[in-house]
Amino acid sequence: MTRLTGFLPPALARPFNAVGAALLVIAALLPWATFLLNDGAFPDKATLQFFDAPLAVTGFRWQLLLIGVAALVLAFVRIPGQGRVLRALGWGGLAIGVVGAIFIASEGGGLGAITAADGTTAFGSIVAVLGGVALVLGSTALGIPDIPDWPTRFFGLSGWPLRLAAWVVLVVAFGGVLYLVSLTLTAGGIGGAADPYAGPIFLAFLGFAGALLGALHGAGVTRWVSRLSEEHRGFSILVLVACAFALPFTEAGSQYWMQVAATIGVYAATAIGLNIVVGLAGLLDLGYVAFLGIGAFVAANLSGAGASALGWDLPFPVAALIAAAVAGVFGAIVGSPTLRVRGDYLAIVTLAFGEIFYRSAQNDIGELTGGASAIPGIPPISMFGTAFNEPLELFGAELPSGVLYYFLIVLVVAAIMAVFANLKNSRMGRAWIAIREDEDAARAMGIRTGKAKILAFLVGATLAGLAGAIFVHKLGTASYESFQFLESVTLLAAVILGGMGTIPGAVLGASLLFVLPEKLREFDEYRLLVFGLALILIMRFRPQGLVPDRVRRAELAGETAMGKSIEEAEEQAVLEHEEALSAQKEDRR
Amino acid sequence: MNAARHSAETVLEASGVTMVFGGLTALNDVSLSLPEGRIVGLIGPNGAGKTTFFNCLTGLYTPTRGAVRLRGKELPHDPAKVTTAGIARTFQNIRLFPNMSVLENVLVGRHIRMRQGPLASLFHGPGFRRDERRAREKSLELLEFVGLRGVEDEVARNLPYGDQRRLEIARALATEPDVLLLDEPTAGMNPQETEDARQLIFRIRETGISVVVIEHDTKFIFSLCDTVSVLVQGEVLVEGSPDVVREDPRVIEAYLGKPREEVEAEVAEAAAHHGADHQGPAAGRRDDA
Repeated sequence: MTRLTGFLPPALARPFNAVGAALLVIAALLPWATFLLNDGAFPDKATLQFFDAPLAVTGFRWQLLLIGVAALVLAFVRIPGQGRVLRALGWGGLAIGVVGAIFIASEGGGLGAITAADGTTAFGSIVAVLGGVALVLGSTALGIPDIPDWPTRFFGLSGWPLRLAAWVVLVVAFGGVLYLVSLTLTAGGIGGAADPYAGPIFLAFLGFAGALLGALHGAGVTRWVSRLSEEHRGFSILVLVACAFALPFTEAGSQYWMQVAATIGVYAATAIGLNIVVGLAGLLDLGYVAFLGIGAFVAANLSGAGASALGWDLPFPVAALIAAAVAGVFGAIVGSPTLRVRGDYLAIVTLAFGEIFYRSAQNDIGELTGGASAIPGIPPISMFGTAFNEPLELFGAELPSGVLYYFLIVLVVAAIMAVFANLKNSRMGRAWIAIREDEDAARAMGIRTGKAKILAFLVGATLAGLAGAIFVHKLGTASYESFQFLESVTLLAAVILGGMGTIPGAVLGASLLFVLPEKLREFDEYRLLVFGLALILIMRFRPQGLVPDRVRRAELAGETAMGKSIEEAEEQAVLEHEEALSAQKEDRR
Repeated sequence: MNAARHSAETVLEASGVTMVFGGLTALNDVSLSLPEGRIVGLIGPNGAGKTTFFNCLTGLYTPTRGAVRLRGKELPHDPAKVTTAGIARTFQNIRLFPNMSVLENVLVGRHIRMRQGPLASLFHGPGFRRDERRAREKSLELLEFVGLRGVEDEVARNLPYGDQRRLEIARALATEPDVLLLDEPTAGMNPQETEDARQLIFRIRETGISVVVIEHDTKFIFSLCDTVSVLVQGEVLVEGSPDVVREDPRVIEAYLGKPREEVEAEVAEAAAHHGADHQGPAAGRRDDA
């Protein structure tokens, strides 16, 4: 079933697609900046002055070239889901063009930088934008087709050969994901003086990655892989964990990126915990970061740091467990008002708790938080005679310092994922979801809703406390400033953005929300603006989250039981009606 | 009707239940007794207090006076504990868990009959898996029983209306109740669905569960129930077998409206008094709306 959404008559689809794709290819081979910008030459030899070898394309121009060539081929070769694939490629090309144009024009002090100056021309970004627009228009002219379904049994295989083939597919797919993650992390470099163009290069890469994923999704590949991974769940988890452990061996295996990845891991773990409270039990918590903070300060005081008033020195696993337990107790305490308040009121209670924690930590109540001077000098985790901040040699490869923290957090995130999945598919998890859906009906089923809600808070807070213990060792300092209200909001945004009630959603959401600010440092004061804009766009075009729950997907995308969208179903009904009418007319003749 | 049913012991007994909201007495000294294995109907005009009475039975409301006893034991005022004690209910406006699957809805009904501690939920040991498998089997049996086998993976929200009502009954049955309270089980159903519902309630009684039904459809109630209570303005007006209740003039007046001839006579009288003001026969009916 094809939805008719295009602006152009179908006859113009192919010409527009072909011209758009050709323009993208041409744009990749053209110079982009007319003159040297303030921060130096634009990367990938896109500045006219350095444009000595038009065919030696690298970086974002290479990515644009790939998009263009793929689109050019697909303009003439029919594949399932073609309209969707071409549309994704078009948006990707458009994004790369727009990012380049805006950045070069603003750095170069006007439109002259991307057009012509003193008789020289550099139309690359404009051509890319035009090509992208043409491709989007052309691809939608024929209507947007359904995402094709690929069978999970293929090539007539069965039994062991089928299983092996599926495993190969999964390894390749997850390997691809690993490669993409490593590229995303390192795209544009670490920024600052070393890489003045890190921001635009990263954004352009996001355009490319988005086009790639969108095209694979449109062709039905991602859906096929996710279904395969559901059928081979154990193996998928194994490969996924292996891939996570392989990240340090890729390009992203530098000290800086390992630190970023470990920080993301901490927030991902916290977000999964929050997902239990918000996504499963439906309890809006606006002060969640306080539990991360409680875990952090407890661990800081038990770590033997000189600045700690308590000054205990316990081995890390013990300290981490105590931190988690203390956070859990506080979770139960905060959860207890949930017996009396619901919805918005609960959000305010949790907000107040978060603020109480923040102010108490700031003012060093009980001399446990160090107040404004924080608790510095927390020693690194040390286990099996290895300090975790040391570099590591593994399988003959030199791994940077900080990689051990990364490995630890991968293990912790994996464990927390298992906890989440097991709880969700149990009597307790169903009770939580039932409370979210209809609390009175849940009580009528015999569920002790008070107990269940407190348990949700307790489990969520425990996981956050555990994450906090690692966080503080990795950072070396426990400061109240890390646990502001904004962090709670960002965590909540991560859960909603990624997809409520799903694990990959929370991880993906946390990664995006904590990578984007890191990568957008270039934009200084515009950083949060761009970030907010990205959030608005994602929520507008994908309200169900990036990786939605089976059910929420249907609910928010307006899909009917058969997996069609409501619009599609209505259109089909209209078409059938029209067909019937024309058939009647035929009969009369 | 077999003889055993007539001498059955009382399973659910409400005595002198009074419910006052502020200054409004919603229920006044309402008593009801449900013998084992019977179907008791509760009818009455809108606002008579039928659903309020159900809410008192299930512990959602704490009655101002009076008590509810299940097999002689007084019930607590907590819905979860009442359900555990053996009373299950459905709601007047269907209250499923809309975004859970059909099977999951019934599994939630199994909640109090499952044996899983928090730790078992965390680690999914062999005991957990056995418990989970048993719950699924039992839930599928119940779906089969109400005629919903085959749609267990569908999202509850997407079921047709009549199926949602049946799913709500299956979910209530999953709690393994002694007494099932049905709040308007056929509201909004067509004649065929109503007949299916009647047969389903008979089959539920066959399994030894006693049933209390609230309903507007008097024909349905009289063809279904062993005894019928008529509730009017918070008080029990008449109680007895369908035949007795059907013929009682007070019931006909209070619930079914006055006999047609009388209404028409009244209307004619009113018309004579007010001239052009009269608004048709509906104006004379007391139970309207």
